[in-house]
Amino acid sequence: MKKYYYLFAVIMAVLVISCEDVIKVDLNTAAPRLVVNGSLQWQKGTLGNEQKIKLSTTTGFYDTVIPTVSGALILVTNSTNSSFNFTEEVPNSGVYLCHNFIPEINETYVMNLVLNGETYTATETLKSVSPITSVMQNSSGGFSGTDVEIKTYYTDPANSNDYYLFKYKSSLNAIPMYQVSEDKFYQGNQFFGYYTNGDIKTGDNLDITIYGVSKRYFDYMSKLILISGANNGPFSTPPATVHGNIINLTHPNNYALGYFNVSETDFRNYIIQ
Amino acid sequence: MLFFLTTTLVFSQEKFTLSGTISDSKTNETLIGVNVFCAEYKVGIITNEYGFYSITLPKGDYKIQISYLGYLSVTETIVLTQNIKKNFALTETGQQLDEVIITEKTATNIRRPEMSVNKLSIGTIKKIPVVLGEVDIIKALLMLPGVTNAGEGQSGFNVRGGGADQNLILLDEATIFNSSHLFGLFSVFNPDAIKDLKLYKGGIPARFGGRVSSVLDIYQKDGNSNKFSMNGGVGIISSRILAEGPIVKNRGSFLFAGRASYAHLFLKLTNNKNSAYFYDLNTKMNYKVNQNNNLFLSGYFGRDVFSLSNSFVNTYGSATLNLRWNHLFSDKLFSNLSLIYSDYYYGLNLNLLGFLWNSGIKNYNIKYDFKHYVTDKIKLNYGINTIYYAFNPGTIEPSNATSGINYKQLEKKYAFEPSIYFDAEQKISNDLSLSYGLRYSMFYRLGSSTVNLYNNNQAVVFNQELQIYEKATPIGSTYFGGNKVIESFNNFEPRFAASYQLNANESVKASYNRMTQYLQLISNTASPTPLDVWTPSDNYIKPQILDQVALGYFRNFNDDKYSLEVETFYKKIKNRIDYIDGANLIANEAIEQVILNGEMRAYGLEVLLRKNTGKLNGWISYTLSKSEQRTPGRNATEIGINNGNWYHSGYDKLHNLSVTSSYTFNSKWTFGANFVLQSGQPVTFPDGQYQYEGITIPSYGTRNGNRLPAYHHLDFSATYVPKPNKKKGWQSEWVFSIYNAYGRKNAASISFRQNETKGVNEAIRLSIFGVVPGISYNFKF
Repeated sequence: MKKYYYLFAVIMAVLVISCEDVIKVDLNTAAPRLVVNGSLQWQKGTLGNEQKIKLSTTTGFYDTVIPTVSGALILVTNSTNSSFNFTEEVPNSGVYLCHNFIPEINETYVMNLVLNGETYTATETLKSVSPITSVMQNSSGGFSGTDVEIKTYYTDPANSNDYYLFKYKSSLNAIPMYQVSEDKFYQGNQFFGYYTNGDIKTGDNLDITIYGVSKRYFDYMSKLILISGANNGPFSTPPATVHGNIINLTHPNNYALGYFNVSETDFRNYIIQ
Repeated sequence: MLFFLTTTLVFSQEKFTLSGTISDSKTNETLIGVNVFCAEYKVGIITNEYGFYSITLPKGDYKIQISYLGYLSVTETIVLTQNIKKNFALTETGQQLDEVIITEKTATNIRRPEMSVNKLSIGTIKKIPVVLGEVDIIKALLMLPGVTNAGEGQSGFNVRGGGADQNLILLDEATIFNSSHLFGLFSVFNPDAIKDLKLYKGGIPARFGGRVSSVLDIYQKDGNSNKFSMNGGVGIISSRILAEGPIVKNRGSFLFAGRASYAHLFLKLTNNKNSAYFYDLNTKMNYKVNQNNNLFLSGYFGRDVFSLSNSFVNTYGSATLNLRWNHLFSDKLFSNLSLIYSDYYYGLNLNLLGFLWNSGIKNYNIKYDFKHYVTDKIKLNYGINTIYYAFNPGTIEPSNATSGINYKQLEKKYAFEPSIYFDAEQKISNDLSLSYGLRYSMFYRLGSSTVNLYNNNQAVVFNQELQIYEKATPIGSTYFGGNKVIESFNNFEPRFAASYQLNANESVKASYNRMTQYLQLISNTASPTPLDVWTPSDNYIKPQILDQVALGYFRNFNDDKYSLEVETFYKKIKNRIDYIDGANLIANEAIEQVILNGEMRAYGLEVLLRKNTGKLNGWISYTLSKSEQRTPGRNATEIGINNGNWYHSGYDKLHNLSVTSSYTFNSKWTFGANFVLQSGQPVTFPDGQYQYEGITIPSYGTRNGNRLPAYHHLDFSATYVPKPNKKKGWQSEWVFSIYNAYGRKNAASISFRQNETKGVNEAIRLSIFGVVPGISYNFKF
């Protein structure tokens, strides 16, 4: 639908009639809910011992401070029952650190979290990722034909269904941009992640990360990207709160948002030519 | 039924039949819906879609009155001592009177058991002010009670709280699957080529089926069989040209009409590589073989093309071809056989990803309809209809040699939909008329196809731990060979309507109809997008079944100067599909894994007050209605969608007021004005935010629990005819318009996002039209 929104915008621009403006909308705020930001990443060629999980809660849409959550006990275990403790080292930071994590491809990890007498759990398998083979730039691309276009190439392994997550963080923007991809249409071929930006220019930095992810995390991130994006235009689907893989064992209805994920990643820093 | 037939046959010995066709005196164009009324006997009939009428009366002398919107009424004395064939030619009012004052009777027909139906003449539609001066049939429909659309610039239209996919749109009997150009800015119907249209919102006759909300029946002009003529127009967005004339004088005619937009040409001049345009062609030929046989061939072809610097090229549109044969078995039995082909094509070339996509739907339709004018009190309609569908959900190809995309054909789907129907319109007494009928529809989903099998036959599973719906994993599959029946359905669809005349000017009417829709549009947005694919009902997707009741009060007053129509309706639709959260519908090969069968209901009150005559005429329409949807859990442990609660459909409009009027100042100047005021579209606003991996995510509560701000606009138009007395040679007019005169910034959407560069949260309003002036020039010769 994103492309449709863009297309729609172009038609409106062709007819020189539409306009976008920022308005203030009165919004209700629901009771706060726990959010688990558990994205364990193992960059190729590193040990992957250092990991973190962040805890916070939901808050009003216009609030500028995100409330952090302290006092939780977080333990991650693997299939051979090795356990890795995550502890909040800086008080009230909501950031729980672990220094002895052992990542292994296709290993299944279980996160256990206890907070205010409620126990939460989540399970995920560490997926491998194809390395980035090259990054190509085209300065007269994109939908407008004048945008910088970056293609990040990788080779999809044949005979398996693979899911990818891309993260792009440019020095121009305050927030990263995510994209998902599945090999449904390019099984076993060389393919690319596609990034375009009309404002980026020579000398700007672009951090590119590719993640190997499970199908479930792919589904989760697809939904998250859809509702977080600026593309909730006339062709948007009805938005709904996105559930991740965190289960509240004590009170199933008091579910937590966020996701516990474990991925192998590959990273490139690219300077725009 | 048989009882009525036999009794009427017994008493019908001394009766004779008057029959024939009624057409325009100048062009020989047949006229649809002309009133033929016998005052002495207080019976009337209207001409059918081919201008044919037949009325059977006892032997005697009668004054037959013939009246039609925009034409001078004719009264003729007929001495009925034998069966008589008589054709009438009516003269347009504007051509004869120096003063252009509409004097013809356009009052509501209070006698017929027909309700919830709106007719609009092309003349009326052309007077309604529109965006950029582009005359638009669908936009005109939106001024009627019970008709809305999701919002400005959105495609399709919604009737009585139903989805845009629930409208059966027929152009010369061929199904049109997408009625919009440039998304929803314009409709695909060239107004110059259209003769007549009728919108059925309820009490739908048994001869229509296949959609649950409404039928929009549009007829193209046949073409002038008298002399060659052309007309056309030049507007800001598009231009039109139409040529028509005799093939054999007074026996056969042709019509070609074309329309194309050219706003993109200005872009080329400014070196902009993007482009968005549309075009369409209408053709029609007819030939009168003899008094009892008529042949018609008609076609439509339309396309929209978008291209964004050649990295993204999108083409879509409809095509239809239709051959019809009218045959009179007797002066009481009219028949029409139609062979119809129609298709919808969607193509996308995403060059920057090396990706080529094609999808579409084709259908082949044979219809044989009979209209049997049994006596002056009973008219029967019966017939058969068979449709064969071929769906292509998507073909994926690499767009160039270096592309990493593999060729893939999503499995094609086939279906067959035969039906038979019968209905009767019967006058029981001078005050009471009934119409009753039955349609029996069948639907076969056919192979070749591979059907997935699931545990407990459930393609969607509920994850208790996470409290979400997820795709089920197939446990196997069954292959069905070519034309093997995968799943079949059959339904009886009863229809009933009654009208009771309280006095000469007042009547009450009631109706009930059941309808079945076997084709589903896979769309998760408030209004359809061109990319949405149609899919047949099968083992997992059940046909939608509607039950609707309506009650109405109709009144003409002040010597038929004014008409008042008040209707209330309630409708319920079973098996309305809903989608699990985050369902991906594009190129989804197992669509059953993201679909749940829910239900839908809508109810409301519609008021239409029209001023039919005088220099100032027009109407006020007001609708108070609700349209809701619900998808409860399939068992006690499931939560359903939106916690199983009713929620507003995306096009629910609680209040909808529209006023449209036209004022004939003198023979040179006519003015028009519109005002529209509606409740905002239901939307879901966030009730919080949270952060995950560096980005801000809005969190949401009740689906469609909020509304966009109220929607309103005021529009004006003025039509100037420089030489109103000129009836020959080059005749022209100018149409000036202003849309949204006071510049209301109506929100088409409000989206919530984190500003990319600043990182703060904001709400963005998209408003499409500011004050939009328009000008167009129309001519004929």
